[in-house]
Amino acid sequence: MAKEKPSINTVNLTATQLMEFDACTRCGECVKYCPTYDARDKNQDIEPRDKILRWRDFMNKSYGLKARLFGPEKIPPEKIKKFTDDLYNCTTCGMCGTVCPAGINTIELWESTRANLVKHGTGPFGKQSLFPKLIEEGHNPYMKQQKDRLAWMTPDIKITDKSDIAYFIGCTAGYNQQVLGVSTARILNKLNVPFMVLGEDEWCCSSALIRTGQQHINDTPKKAAIHNVEALKARGAKRVIFACAGCFRAAKIDWPRAYGKALPFEAIHMSQFLAEQVEAGKIKWEKSLDKTVTYHDPCHLGRHVGVFEEPRSVIKSMPGVKLVEMKRNRKEQRCCGAGGGVKAGIPDLALGVAKARVTDAKETGAEALISTCPFCRRNLLDGRDELKLDMSVDDLVVLTANLMGLSTDVKPPAPGAPKESISDLFRTQTIPPKPPAEPKKEEPKAAAAPKAEAPQAAVKEAAK
Amino acid sequence: MATEGLTIFGKTVFDTLFIDYRIMVITAIISIILFIVGMYIQLEKWGRGIPEGATKPYGAWGALKLIISKIFEKGIGHALEILILDVAFQRRTYRRRKLEWLMHILIFWGWIGLLILTIVAAIAEFYGPFILEAGPEFFISMWKSLELPNDIFGYMLVAGIVIAIARRLFPAGKDVQARNADIDWILILGLLIVVITGFYAQAIRETDGIERDVIPVYEAEAPGFFNNITVLFHEVFTLLFCVAYVPFSKYFHMITAPLTILVNWGGE
Repeated sequence: MAKEKPSINTVNLTATQLMEFDACTRCGECVKYCPTYDARDKNQDIEPRDKILRWRDFMNKSYGLKARLFGPEKIPPEKIKKFTDDLYNCTTCGMCGTVCPAGINTIELWESTRANLVKHGTGPFGKQSLFPKLIEEGHNPYMKQQKDRLAWMTPDIKITDKSDIAYFIGCTAGYNQQVLGVSTARILNKLNVPFMVLGEDEWCCSSALIRTGQQHINDTPKKAAIHNVEALKARGAKRVIFACAGCFRAAKIDWPRAYGKALPFEAIHMSQFLAEQVEAGKIKWEKSLDKTVTYHDPCHLGRHVGVFEEPRSVIKSMPGVKLVEMKRNRKEQRCCGAGGGVKAGIPDLALGVAKARVTDAKETGAEALISTCPFCRRNLLDGRDELKLDMSVDDLVVLTANLMGLSTDVKPPAPGAPKESISDLFRTQTIPPKPPAEPKKEEPKAAAAPKAEAPQAAVKEAAK
Repeated sequence: MATEGLTIFGKTVFDTLFIDYRIMVITAIISIILFIVGMYIQLEKWGRGIPEGATKPYGAWGALKLIISKIFEKGIGHALEILILDVAFQRRTYRRRKLEWLMHILIFWGWIGLLILTIVAAIAEFYGPFILEAGPEFFISMWKSLELPNDIFGYMLVAGIVIAIARRLFPAGKDVQARNADIDWILILGLLIVVITGFYAQAIRETDGIERDVIPVYEAEAPGFFNNITVLFHEVFTLLFCVAYVPFSKYFHMITAPLTILVNWGGE
């Protein structure tokens, strides 16, 4: 009788990663810190330890000693599907790996296992499956046009064609959080730092694809990384500034892998650049902000790359600003809840984690919650609104621009524009309300219409 | 002086463990073979990994090569630093879990210490007659000098096991309770058997006074002490449980956790 085929396979997993599954001692340290486990009312199925143990069990049933002697044991498909869903209930924040006594690199482990499960046919989760099409075809996850990459530009902003310094804007700042784009550009102008941007030539960093295990689909992240690196290189970039922690993480860690060698330029986060300028005495504060603020370390900037102190040194240098720390900060910070495809795929989980993080901030007595990632900011704003807290949520760059005496105003926001497109801390602008939708007219052939529109609507929803 | 040790290749081997060394040697060989087979099965399992872009798996030796190359990717100095701070002294555990760190250190170093002393004693058994052409005095003096460290490592192991049991009986929090804790009890029970029978064996040796009685024991009292069933059980069980069983049990983390820390350069 032919032996049963293993129910799982080992593609996308390295030998050392398979070893890591066997290294878990079941101590449960990761469980104490997991933000999604907390947000899901301590559901044991989504704790990191349980996921490692389940995959270990799958591996042993498929390839262990017993499997070698008597053939692999069948794993019911619903068990694998359940495991997949639980695996996607994770922001890949990496907190579990940070506290793991065995030093398991969980970020890479989750991403590789997700890729394995996507190839297996059980991943990704929900609307995350729209990312490959959106990013490959439109070069951004928001269904926007490439020609609108610089739609946020205002006449006062000066951008050069060629420069040693480039600003990689990113999809979120370019399309949805224009306040971050204009603030970054105006700061650079004010500091007399000539900079260029790729504009229509800028492609999504593809972080969302990598985080959700979909990097192999048409090799989109690889193509995007090579395209962006070559485009920046061709324009003479020696230093590339990122104001988005997600793009920065992709450039620092994912792009060199895709590019196959070290990048031909230095990737630097805007908070690092600002810290340098503060240190060199080049930033002249023109305003004071008499507020107590707390700082949220984005996972992609902090734990993933190791930038913790620069944003704090900038905040501490601001006149009138008092920085207080949340209990969980730096390496042990609690994730905002948006990463790892969770914001798009499992929005209620993202909101649950955001509420916990905003509560952390509120407990410090801070009046403002500052971060350095537009994606964190968006989710923390949602958490703040859900809890109806009186606390501003803004980006360090926006705060810096304002205290340097610069306007953080964007082009007059369109009715119903996302709330994150303007500054939350400096409410000089308002977003006109979205006009009420016109009542749908009864059409004779209406029966088929919803079906035709459904995929488009889902894509728009996923892109939010 | 009468010499009633056991003869191997024409030499007399004095075994103050009161055990027929042939049983020990055979058990040791079986244990080591089982350990190696277990390790190979695990390596072969890890070697099934097919990283992104590759078309075929690493294979067992490919996996071993990858592990070794990753450990030394940042240089020998860095690997040594991680080995000392994170493996030997378990820095990562110390940072967050002081009691568990103490338990681990006591069990780990107690276990390692006893293992090293056992190897030293085994070597001395053969080194005396084969290299030094010495009588039983050599092994007796060697054994006596190992008594204190043996006791220390033994008590360390006992203390570690007591903490392990206490942590499981009185868990600090629901979250940290180990999953599938039944397996832990099997392992703790196994270690307890090793320790209790070990102290019993040691007590026999000390009560009888090795330097005074080893020869009479061999001459006159065998088989009263020779191959004492509890002592024999201790030695055989320890070899099987603490060596052969390791790759097939939770104790495998004694190998995989340090290796993981090393390949991830301390997890930092």
